[in-house]
Amino acid sequence: MQAAPAIVLDNVHLNLSSSAGPVNVLRGVSLSIGAGESVALLGPSGSGKSSLLMIAAGLEKPTSGKASLAGSDITNLGEDALARLRRETVGIVFQSFHLIATMTALENVALPLEFARADHAFERAREELARVGLSARAHHYPGQLSGGEQQRVALARAMVARPRVLFADEPTGNLDTETGSEVAELLFALPARANTTLFLVTHEVTLARRCARILRLKDGAILSDTRADAA
Amino acid sequence: MKSLLLAWRLARRELRSGLAGFRIFFASLVLGVAAIAAVGSLADALLTGLADNGRVLLGGDVAIVSVNQPLTAAERGFAESYGKISQTISMRAMAYALASSDTPRPCLSWPANAGHPGRFGTEPEKKVKFPRPSPEPSRCHLGGPHSLAMTSDFQKSVTERTLVELKAVDANYPLYGSMGLAPRRNFSASLACGGGDICGAVAEQTLLDRLHLAPGGLLRIGAQTFRVSAVLTDEPDRLSGGFSLGPHVIVSTAALRRTGLVTLGSLIEYKTRVRLPANASIAAFKRAAKARFPGAGLQIRDRDHAAPGIDRFIKQISVFLTLVGLTALAIGGVGAGQAVHAFLDRKREEIATLKALGADGMLVFLTFFLQVMSIAALASAAGTTAGAALPFAVERLYGAEIPVPANFGLFAPPLLLAFVFGMLSAAAFAIPPLARAREIAPASLFRDLVAPTRTRGRFPYLAAAGCAGLLIVALALAVSPSFSFSLWFLACAGGGLIALSLAAAGFRWVIRRLPPASRPAPRLALANLTRPGSATTAVITALGLGLSLLATVTILDRTISAQVNGSLPGTAPSFYFIDIQPAEAAAFDRTIARFASGRDYRRTPMIRGRIVALAGIPASRAKVARDARWALAGDRGITYAAVEPKDTVLTAGRWWPTTYRGQTRISLDSDLAHGMGLRIGDTMTLNVLGRDIEGRIANLRDVDFSTGRQNFVVILSPGIIDKAPHSFLATVRVPPRDEEPMYRAVTNRFPSVSVVRVKDVIAELDQLLQKLAFGVRAASLVAILAGLLVLAGAIAAGLRARLYDSTIMKVIGATRLQIALVYALEYILLGALTGALALGAGTAAASLVAHRVFEISPVLDWGALILTVAGGATLTLAFGLAITWGALATRPAQQLRNL
Repeated sequence: MQAAPAIVLDNVHLNLSSSAGPVNVLRGVSLSIGAGESVALLGPSGSGKSSLLMIAAGLEKPTSGKASLAGSDITNLGEDALARLRRETVGIVFQSFHLIATMTALENVALPLEFARADHAFERAREELARVGLSARAHHYPGQLSGGEQQRVALARAMVARPRVLFADEPTGNLDTETGSEVAELLFALPARANTTLFLVTHEVTLARRCARILRLKDGAILSDTRADAA
Repeated sequence: MKSLLLAWRLARRELRSGLAGFRIFFASLVLGVAAIAAVGSLADALLTGLADNGRVLLGGDVAIVSVNQPLTAAERGFAESYGKISQTISMRAMAYALASSDTPRPCLSWPANAGHPGRFGTEPEKKVKFPRPSPEPSRCHLGGPHSLAMTSDFQKSVTERTLVELKAVDANYPLYGSMGLAPRRNFSASLACGGGDICGAVAEQTLLDRLHLAPGGLLRIGAQTFRVSAVLTDEPDRLSGGFSLGPHVIVSTAALRRTGLVTLGSLIEYKTRVRLPANASIAAFKRAAKARFPGAGLQIRDRDHAAPGIDRFIKQISVFLTLVGLTALAIGGVGAGQAVHAFLDRKREEIATLKALGADGMLVFLTFFLQVMSIAALASAAGTTAGAALPFAVERLYGAEIPVPANFGLFAPPLLLAFVFGMLSAAAFAIPPLARAREIAPASLFRDLVAPTRTRGRFPYLAAAGCAGLLIVALALAVSPSFSFSLWFLACAGGGLIALSLAAAGFRWVIRRLPPASRPAPRLALANLTRPGSATTAVITALGLGLSLLATVTILDRTISAQVNGSLPGTAPSFYFIDIQPAEAAAFDRTIARFASGRDYRRTPMIRGRIVALAGIPASRAKVARDARWALAGDRGITYAAVEPKDTVLTAGRWWPTTYRGQTRISLDSDLAHGMGLRIGDTMTLNVLGRDIEGRIANLRDVDFSTGRQNFVVILSPGIIDKAPHSFLATVRVPPRDEEPMYRAVTNRFPSVSVVRVKDVIAELDQLLQKLAFGVRAASLVAILAGLLVLAGAIAAGLRARLYDSTIMKVIGATRLQIALVYALEYILLGALTGALALGAGTAAASLVAHRVFEISPVLDWGALILTVAGGATLTLAFGLAITWGALATRPAQQLRNL
């Protein structure tokens, strides 16, 4: 029996209002991503990549169309139900890390488990930090960590609850090449080990090519959907 | 100068952004300045009102006051030679409501001189013998056919009774102003006795309510029946009369004489008001009176000091309220300083750019200083305007209820003062963060958020801020009529601010060192309390100071109230019986003795006398400590005793032998003796009913007024003083169940005896205290409001960080409830801690005041505890959640786009 797709979008539209008038960010996007797949979303700035990620991750509601995540229809879920679904099934890594400044690296990583009232939150967080190579920095605050270290903490935080899907929005965009490639290694290794679907938003073709599938987005619509080796 | 002009040009450009980032700064200043301006304007309105209406309030341009004796013919002639005079007689008496069908006949065998005892009109000024009471008592005999005492028929017709403040007036009264009567009718006609037995009287509505009477109803005072011809709605000279123990009743002088209550030894105040010609000098009148009657000890009051007690009260309360306003300004200053700090934080890049482009530190300082002070000037002007307008609003809303004549208007001095206070406060609190920004290098400005710079600014700038603070203190002390009170208040407020800042720093230090909480909500809440830019310090200092003031006032209110209600009645008598005549004394004793439950019954001779010389030095020239001067101001109640009164505690000397009848010996209050510089063996001269009695101090006693029992600061040995006509004062303690029967028994049998029910006086006093405490508490709310503004500002300043946190927490799976719980915990913890610290500070301040000022122990109160701790937590929680609600409600996608 085939597992349910991790992400399904069906004719998703997203219209946002702006001072210059309404903007059609997404125009009828449909896609299906299977469990354990690694998918890159490529596209120029303003093409709607981040918006698509936010709808897929349940951070944004589509104006029309349907979205489902890990087999659940999230189109009409309330904010708190979406939060619960996210902590059980989703991990997100941002370009700007978005760690909580008042918490240590360990506390940042443990937080999703604590929200989910999971057992042994700190032990698991410590293990996850070890996986990203930051055991020694567990008690450092974000302000005391370099950009690469902060992103590794963010990656550990995203993966600690063993999510079904890992969303990554330009995860190496704020890092230099060397640090970026270290983070990229972890970005692909950790989900692969946990059979987690990876949904990567990037404008770097080389990074995208490390994914099994590449989606190209332009002006809010899917331009192409290809396997990496065919891209 | 060039750099000043350049700075001003740059500041003007900065001002284009308006009040953005300065709303709390602006509001804090407006609030503090408005409070000071309003208090000053209101006080000036009341004080000028009192001054402008002085002759109406006094009832004349000057008033000669004498106790127990009217002016002699010579003194009266002297007063009349200056202008038209009006004489009034005031005393306390019992009024009895009569059923209207019964019109008992008054005492018919009225002695010819009964209304003119003693010096009243005929006795020569220099006569040294005491005026002798008539062989016939100067009032009707008890139980006789025309007695003042009630017959059984009369007792049946009496329904209710109460103590009243009785005032008898002549035909010239009032010399100034007009009487308010309802229904409106001629005042003299309202008091007329006409040809019948019943005289007219006007009385306050309170009396009619207490006696269940309506206008036209009958009441009896002493031996005279009165018909209440109108309700007294306005008595122009009431304010100059002092504290009232009962409702006011006005009758004619002729009618008062028919009551039989005016006798030698009765507690009576005579006032002779004089209407001086327009060009006459008050000072000249006083000088002439002293020169003409040097030994008479005439107390002369004038229109410029018509109601000195009220004048003093308004000044003292305005000092207190101005200081509360200054506290609000100081609390607001904390917020203002924070606002400037936050503003400069947002301007870091701009400041760095200016510096990178060649601006020196002074230019940066001046630019932002001018900007901040421009906004401060605008805020101070707005506060001054609001403060000037507030009294007019008070007049419109509560004008009819203000018991003091007020001249509402614009008064420049308090408005100017408030404006200056506003500007100085802004400078004092804004300079330190400005000086700090001036010192920081461009590079460190960029990094300051991560690793805050500890630069404090150069000394001259900090000294300038300190000078602004000291100027505020100096100005507040300079304009205060009570230097020491203001100094103490400011020292306490300043000390409180420093102590609370230190407590806040200590709290942060402790929290940082606590092991992390196992659950995320408390851990995040604690982390929020110590994060850079958290509201902790601002809230603890600003809201804490406001709550401390409220706690101080509440504890003091409770302490004084407990003293009045709690400790007094335990030892205090249930009744004071005033004006018991010698002829009634034995019967009175028997009446009281019928109550087996009566305790501590004491009947003591009561004579009014004035201290005129201390150790041979006239009292007016003697060096007397401030806290003992009250004993020389006017007549005091004195007594005599052969036997040492029960519970007397002698501190020096010995009591005279029981049989001693020689030269007068004096037993004196030891505190008073100390204040007057008197010792055992020194002489003291008293003037009693016009006669000087010199006595030698035989012993000193401890006098404890807090017991509420009979306390005489001066007790004389018998021999001479007991020959003076006098009445008796009696006190007794009975259980509550016997109070009403005893009240009825005494008032039925002795209608001329005034009965003061201690319970009623305490209730009245307590009511007065409660009103005062309510007003003071309401005023301290201004300080709390300032604290809340700071709280709002501090939380709003951290809103961006909270939006960020809540967005990230939502992204990683936190529900709104979980985030709300974090914030709620943080605010409750902060608010409760602030409240607890405020309670500590308030208790300390209240203890200091209770011990040093009232010499009593403070009473801790659950009300204060709940009000400060729970109030602090609730206010912080409510404000915190209201302000951060947006962070909870915002959808994460919306924020992620902006992060």
